[in-house]
Amino acid sequence: MDFRKFRKRSPWILHYNTGSCNGCDIEILACLAPKYDVERFGILNRGNPKQSDILLVTGPVTKRAKERLLRLYFEMPEPKVVVAVGACACSGGVFRHMYNVENGVDKVIPVDVYVPGCAARPEAIIDGIVRALEILKEKGKEVELPHWCSAQVKPPVNRVKLLDRCLEELHGRR
Amino acid sequence: MSYWTAFILTLFSPVIGGFIYGLERIVRARMQGRVGPPLLQPFYDFFKLMDKRSIIIHSFHAFMGVMYLIGTWFALFVLLSGGDLLIAIFFHVLSLAFLVVGGFSVRSPYSVIGAMRELLHMVAYEPLYVLSAAALYLVTGTFQVSGILRSEHVPLIYLPLLFTAVLFSLPAILKKSPFDTAEAHQEIIGGPEIEYSGKFYEAVYTAKWIEYVYAFFFIFLFAGGNHILGALLIIFAFFFFNLLDNVTARVNFRQMVAFHWYILIPLAVINLMLIALWRS
Ligand code: SF4
Repeated sequence: MDFRKFRKRSPWILHYNTGSCNGCDIEILACLAPKYDVERFGILNRGNPKQSDILLVTGPVTKRAKERLLRLYFEMPEPKVVVAVGACACSGGVFRHMYNVENGVDKVIPVDVYVPGCAARPEAIIDGIVRALEILKEKGKEVELPHWCSAQVKPPVNRVKLLDRCLEELHGRR
Repeated sequence: MSYWTAFILTLFSPVIGGFIYGLERIVRARMQGRVGPPLLQPFYDFFKLMDKRSIIIHSFHAFMGVMYLIGTWFALFVLLSGGDLLIAIFFHVLSLAFLVVGGFSVRSPYSVIGAMRELLHMVAYEPLYVLSAAALYLVTGTFQVSGILRSEHVPLIYLPLLFTAVLFSLPAILKKSPFDTAEAHQEIIGGPEIEYSGKFYEAVYTAKWIEYVYAFFFIFLFAGGNHILGALLIIFAFFFFNLLDNVTARVNFRQMVAFHWYILIPLAVINLMLIALWRS
C-alpha cells in the first residue's frame, strides 16, 4: 500500500517564533480559527516536533533562537518540510542586517517554501502550506541535514551526535 | 456473545474507535462554528504516521507505548467477551500504568509531569469504576458482563446518581476538558505521549481510540439487558461530553481530584447505600 498520498491529508504543524514581531504568528493562528478553519484539511497545530510534518517558522532568526531552531529541526522525524512565513523569515525583512539577526531562516535550516508579506496574509499562508504539501509528498525518508553541515549520516542514525556535530559547526561559523 | 465474535469485534475496535473520534472532531468543530475535518480524518492520520520515521528515545520507552496499546486492547476484549468486569478494570489500570512508566522513563520534564498527572487521573476516576462494578453486581447479581447484558433489570433505574457520576467523570478517562490535565495540549503538549513518534506514537494514538470504545461500553452496561436504551445512553453520553469539552476550561489537578473525591464518589456511595438499604 502506498502511504504517500495520506501525507497530504493530515499534515501536522509545528509553529516556531524565532523573534518575530508577532504579526505573522497572529496570522497563523487566524488560519486555525473558525474563519479559515484549516482543520478542514486535517491540519492540526500539534506544537510537538516529534509528531509534526511541517515546520512553520516566523521571524528573522535571532542569535539566541538559531540553536533552538536547529534543535527543533533535528527533532522532527522525516519526511518533513519547512515553510518560512513572512518577510522576516524569508530574508530578514525590516530587521535585515541588524547586529543580532541571521537574515532569514535559510541561513540556518533548509527552507522549502517561502511565504512573503509583512504580515503574511492567512490566504497566503494556506497557499504556502498547500505548496509545501506537494513537496512533502515527493520527499523521501532519509535523514536531512542543513546544507552547510558536513556531518555524514551512517546507519544506525544517532540524531544526538549529528546534532552535536552541526551545533559545533554552527557556533564555529563566525 | 461467543468468544469468536468477541475476538473479531475486539480486532475491529480501533476502527470503531476511529470513527467515534472522527465524529467527535466534527461535532466539536460544529459546536465551535467551524466545518471540521472529514469523518475519515483519524485514519488518514493513522496511515500518515505509518510512513513517518520513528525516533526512539530508548527501547524500553517505545516498548511501553506498545504495551499501552496491548493492555487497553486486552481490557476491551475482556469486556466484549463477557468476562469479569473487575478484571477488565484491572487491565485498564495496568495499561495506563505502562503509559505512566514509559512517561517516567525519559528525561523530558513534560513527559514526567504528564505521567504524574496521569497517576492523579487514575486516583480520581478509577474508584468510580470499581464502585460502579460493585453497584452493577448489587443490581444484577453478577460481575460477568455477559450476565449483566442478559439481566432483565435496567441498572440505570436503580443507579441514577452513580450514572450521573460516571457521566461527569467521562472527560477524565478520555482526557477531555475540563479534566485533561494529563494531556493538556497547550501547556505540556500531550504529557506522557510527547516523546513518541512515528509508529510508536501510532500505537498510543490507537490505544486512545480503543479507550473510547471501552468507556462507552461501560455506559452501555448501565442499560442492562435493554440494548436499545443502551444505544440511546451512548449517544446521549457522546453529545454530553462533547458539550462539556467545549464549554469548560481546564481545571488544575487539585480541583479535579477534589471534584471526584468530594462530589462524585460520595454520590456513588450514597447510591450504593440506598440500594443496600432498600434491598434489606
Ligand atoms: S514579516 Fe512583518 S509581520 Fe511578520 S514577523 Fe516580520 S515584521 Fe512581523
